[in-house]
Amino acid sequence: MTNILWVRASRASRILVYLLLSLAAVWTILPFLWAMVNSVKTVTDTFQPGAFLPFIDFTPTLGSWNEVLSDPQAVQAFLSSIVVSCGTTVFVLILGVPAAYSLARFKFPIPSNDIALWFLSQRVLPPAVVLVPFYLLLVQFRLIDTWVGLIFCYSTFNLAFAVVIMRDIFRDISTEIEDAAKVEGANAWQIFWLVALPLSLDGLVVTSVLVFAFTWNEALFASALTSQDATTFSALVLASRSTRGVDFNVASVNTLIGIVPPVILYFFVQRYLARGLTFGAVKG
Amino acid sequence: MAEARAGRAEYGARFKYALLLPAVLWVVAFTFFPLFSVLRYSFASYVLGRGITGYVGFANYIQVLHSDRFWHSIMVTAIYVAVSVPIEVVLGFLAAWLVNLGPSGAKGFRTVIGAPLFTMEVAIGYLGVTLFSSQGGLYATLLAHIGISIPWLSSPAGGLAAAILLDIWRWTSFVFLIVLAGLGSINSELYDAAVLDARNHWQVMWRLAIPLAWPVTTIAILLRTIECLKVFAIPFALTTGGPGTSTEVFSSTDYLTTIQFFDFGKGSAMGIIFLIMVSAIITLFFRQMRRSLA
Repeated sequence: MTNILWVRASRASRILVYLLLSLAAVWTILPFLWAMVNSVKTVTDTFQPGAFLPFIDFTPTLGSWNEVLSDPQAVQAFLSSIVVSCGTTVFVLILGVPAAYSLARFKFPIPSNDIALWFLSQRVLPPAVVLVPFYLLLVQFRLIDTWVGLIFCYSTFNLAFAVVIMRDIFRDISTEIEDAAKVEGANAWQIFWLVALPLSLDGLVVTSVLVFAFTWNEALFASALTSQDATTFSALVLASRSTRGVDFNVASVNTLIGIVPPVILYFFVQRYLARGLTFGAVKG
Repeated sequence: MAEARAGRAEYGARFKYALLLPAVLWVVAFTFFPLFSVLRYSFASYVLGRGITGYVGFANYIQVLHSDRFWHSIMVTAIYVAVSVPIEVVLGFLAAWLVNLGPSGAKGFRTVIGAPLFTMEVAIGYLGVTLFSSQGGLYATLLAHIGISIPWLSSPAGGLAAAILLDIWRWTSFVFLIVLAGLGSINSELYDAAVLDARNHWQVMWRLAIPLAWPVTTIAILLRTIECLKVFAIPFALTTGGPGTSTEVFSSTDYLTTIQFFDFGKGSAMGIIFLIMVSAIITLFFRQMRRSLA
């Protein structure tokens, strides 16, 4: 959608806009490109100041890719990340979506906005503060270093967020179809399950991707609450510094592997994304 | 008839609570429980393997308040937040404004500029090492070519600056996406009217877009401030707080106190003090923003 300001803009200001946007794009992409370049270097080449272009400045090698991909620990960590992130997403949706729907559609003694704000305020607790109680709780239930333990913690942190986002999405959906279904004799549960949920599919997908990405990228709890079996990829990346220092080429491979899954999901949902991130501040 | 309606209303009431309560109970249980638990530990002396060995009153608090490392981490966090959040908000707003103008290729720009929000922060911290290291780091090398040499990772100021630059790289996308949604919801007729009245482009932005996008922007500022105060992964992965502990943010100090040294009492007291400070800031800030909104 083109803005009238753009239609009326002079040639010079249009060039300026493109210049600034290109600058922003380059600034954003450059680190990714650099990680790709470094990932095909030998350790020695990573310390060469002028080694920018593969084949021209240095001979590329897949050595560090081989090293990471053939490391059973890295593969296991990647798998853990997938399981934990998916598990958390599913659990958060099961608990959060009905609550969000309820807040969007029904009246409560406490205003729905206040409940939503209270949900959001849970984000204020610094993670390092709640680390100890969760650590001890997981020790008690023998859930340290397990997927279930991590899913439990991450669900708790992401639930509030998901409720607030989904509430806005349900609010945006016209209730006409739901009213029609009511006239047809559908009960409240059928309306929620068969009418409202399918209509909110975009929002569900956006919420899922956000929860997945937050879980995937979290490192503090992941490294404190796991030691070996359930270590996630982010925890592995965090630990790699103390175990082996920073080998640029291996660090770059790890970076790329760690970044790719949530970013790919982002490409698929970005069309709907902005809608989910406004936390009710936009009344559409 | 009336009976049936009453029955339905009751069913409705039960239904809405049935949907809401599991989530509410979950959040209540697992946010109050850790809070009380942390409070208890903050007054206890904790020995690894033996648990709480006794209660020591405010001794943990006094120790924390006398700890230079704690205050230093607070100062570093304050600088970190005070520098990165405003820059992220301004850059994010500007980028959103430019993309919202709708030049051709706007969708491509949106995709690229929004992407960093989905990247793993620890990984970005490591990536930062390969960018800022004086031995083969991309930015360090490029800057050296034009005669600028900054000791990014070997000096306190450089380390903090590098971490802040990475934070800006990672989080400007968040403000960008939120503000873009806000700008997108402005009715295009309002632009038409504003263009007639305003003398130039900046006036349109200043008089129309900023006031209308202010509600979403305040949400972005608030969330960004809260998250930034909790910052851990980027600076920790980039410098592990070094050289020494000179760039250690609060979350790193608390993390190392509790998990590395297993000093749960002191770590908890630290957390409570921080929580009080953060809540005070957030409350003041939120009230101020509400006022400027009205």
